[in-house]
Amino acid sequence: MDISLFAQILVWGLYAGCIYILLAIGLNLIFGVMKVVNFAHGELLMLGAYAAFWLYAYSRLNPYLVLPLAMLLIALLGLSMERLGFRPIMGTGKLNEIFLSLGFMYLFQNLVAYLWSTNSRSVRSPYSSISIPLGAIKLPLDYLIIIIITVVFLIAFQLFMKQTNLGRAMRATSQNREAAALMGVNVERMDMLSFALGSALAASAGGLWLISGQLVDPYVGAIPAIKAFAVIIIGGLGSIPGAIIAGLTLGIAENLVPLLMRFFMELFGISMSFTAWKDTIAFFILIIVLVLRPTGIFGEQGE
Amino acid sequence: MKQERISIKGWIGICSLILALLIPFLVRINTYILTVLIIMFVFIIYASAWNLLTVSGQGSLGHAAFFGIGGYVSAIVANSLGLPLGATILLGGLFAAVIGLFIGFTCIRLREWFLAMVTFGFAVIAHTITAELSWITGGWDGIPAKKLISVTIPNYLLYEYYVMLVLTVAVLSIFYLILKSKMGLALEAIRENELEAKVMGINVAKYKLTAFAISAYFTGVAGALQIHHFGYITPEIYGVDISFWPIIYCISGGLFTIEGPILGTIFITFLDASLKSFGFTYERLILIGLILILEVIFLPRGLVSLPAKIKSWLKVS
Repeated sequence: MDISLFAQILVWGLYAGCIYILLAIGLNLIFGVMKVVNFAHGELLMLGAYAAFWLYAYSRLNPYLVLPLAMLLIALLGLSMERLGFRPIMGTGKLNEIFLSLGFMYLFQNLVAYLWSTNSRSVRSPYSSISIPLGAIKLPLDYLIIIIITVVFLIAFQLFMKQTNLGRAMRATSQNREAAALMGVNVERMDMLSFALGSALAASAGGLWLISGQLVDPYVGAIPAIKAFAVIIIGGLGSIPGAIIAGLTLGIAENLVPLLMRFFMELFGISMSFTAWKDTIAFFILIIVLVLRPTGIFGEQGE
Repeated sequence: MKQERISIKGWIGICSLILALLIPFLVRINTYILTVLIIMFVFIIYASAWNLLTVSGQGSLGHAAFFGIGGYVSAIVANSLGLPLGATILLGGLFAAVIGLFIGFTCIRLREWFLAMVTFGFAVIAHTITAELSWITGGWDGIPAKKLISVTIPNYLLYEYYVMLVLTVAVLSIFYLILKSKMGLALEAIRENELEAKVMGINVAKYKLTAFAISAYFTGVAGALQIHHFGYITPEIYGVDISFWPIIYCISGGLFTIEGPILGTIFITFLDASLKSFGFTYERLILIGLILILEVIFLPRGLVSLPAKIKSWLKVS
């Protein structure tokens, strides 16, 4: 067990964490403004990846360049989901909202399977063979680009929320919907905007996921969605800094824990791989956090 | 007035039971139709079990986990110990109920969103764990399961049909008694307003946990019945669509009622089977997803509420 292995895990964790953060922040935004958890958020990631794939396949541009267009397309889709689906049932109970988002999930999965078959898709990034030597480890250039893009998005998002009138109106809506409406904020427009922004962020996560060499099929959204749920529960519903810390922690933990488990089992002379268990870690963290604190670690008030 | 309406419902129930008993003689016996009907009975049990949990306000998105656990436990015990299927199916349900209690312990303090996330995650995780424990579960390939009624018996599907019919009626009677009992009222009170229910002296935690255990139990039984009908089990039993089916059945029929899940299951099963016979694959799943979305928006009380709705439309116009 040497130090470079841990550094390598740190790099993987940072990269995976970025994807989870992008996904979780969108979920958090929608929850903050509308008090709705969109269970089809993982499907927006999947659709974002498909949009990036087809735009790349037709244009043959650098895959990073088609990302903004893919985000725009999915933002429009999210906007229509809000307008046609969630708005008519606002206030009729949380169960209805849960079932509606489940309906969207099922619809999107099967629609994609119908249109483009269930074959896995992948894109080869032009930088896939380049990696930057960092001491004993190698940092793939794609990972670096993804980390930079995520940081840029986070800063832009934060600036938008804090510095612009629109962002302030959104924050006002999420703090107190009635009061914001009385102050002249068009809260329904804020709902649409939050869905569009959240969907665009999910699409960016999907696009980056695809470009970094992951395989994408119509059912790929469920696992990242659970991880994003874990991230927002650990980080507290509605908390952006919480989501960033929790996302990075989850990204690192799910790469580190299987390795530690392997070393632990080797102490008893059993050699066994735990990499397939990676995806279960988010769920166990989720359960443990919810048992200890039903409102999440950074969450102040439970919803 | 109220007495009369109950008796109308009662007559419909009796007529449909007689119809169910006679169906194999009315239509030409066809393996395909019988299989569809047998699976429909399994899903009526499954949807009703899911509905019971929802009556208490706990909407689970991962009931496939209990469905699959019941199936796997029953198949594994039957294969390794050679117990009769009657015992292993009950054992599968029991195991699912124990797991359900554990999940319930985590969930009872949670609000709807968290509960939905935990149950949704649990089904995906159950999928991974089952696939990884390949020395017991056969991994991705799955394991064979014994048939409910031996294939060597002539007309075995017909026997199976009646076994399933009897089981379904028995389970539905249990759900009917539960929903009409003090417990059913308590669960509805908890769903409408948990705090008020608590103030009225209802032991919220106890009732929510009991609902979780009963629901998981019958879901496990339904899962075991299904895999003993098909004769094999693979981790696909944990798929999102298996979690999705009881939800679409209950919503299209009518949530929180005893007849809703039955009606919804029959309606969607026939829709699904007829679309399938026209050769549609993903189209029918897309259509069913659309039906769920439209029904949540326009008919949230399901088909059961349709007569009252039509009546009110007629009055207006």
